[in-house]
Amino acid sequence: MADENQMLPGLTDAQAKEFHGLFVTSFLIFTAIAVVAHILAWMWRPWFPGVNGYSALDAVNTVVSMIS
Amino acid sequence: MHKIWRMFDPRQALVGLGVFLFSLALLIHFILLSTNRFNWIEGPNKAAAAQTGLPSK
Repeated sequence: MADENQMLPGLTDAQAKEFHGLFVTSFLIFTAIAVVAHILAWMWRPWFPGVNGYSALDAVNTVVSMIS
Repeated sequence: MHKIWRMFDPRQALVGLGVFLFSLALLIHFILLSTNRFNWIEGPNKAAAAQTGLPSK
């Protein structure tokens, strides 16, 4: 059976712990940036249109119907 | 949880993660650019917006 502390040649337990700490921190920073970016994007132009498409198009419809 | 790094080589994991995230980001940005509403470079193309918004006759 694989020896407990030699699962895979490479990192020791301590190194794995250290790397994991940095990995999780970087992940949280990345996620925070992504959340902020999505909030800004939503403020700019929300996605998930209603059943009749993006409501902003209603203004276009009225204009178009007036013209045609 | 940290033991995962004794199964997966951190170097390969980071490179794989980087390549994957970069290509996903590229894909999403280009998908958005190809739409009318989310094209932040040229902005909405009024004719197309009118076209899509037309009530079907």
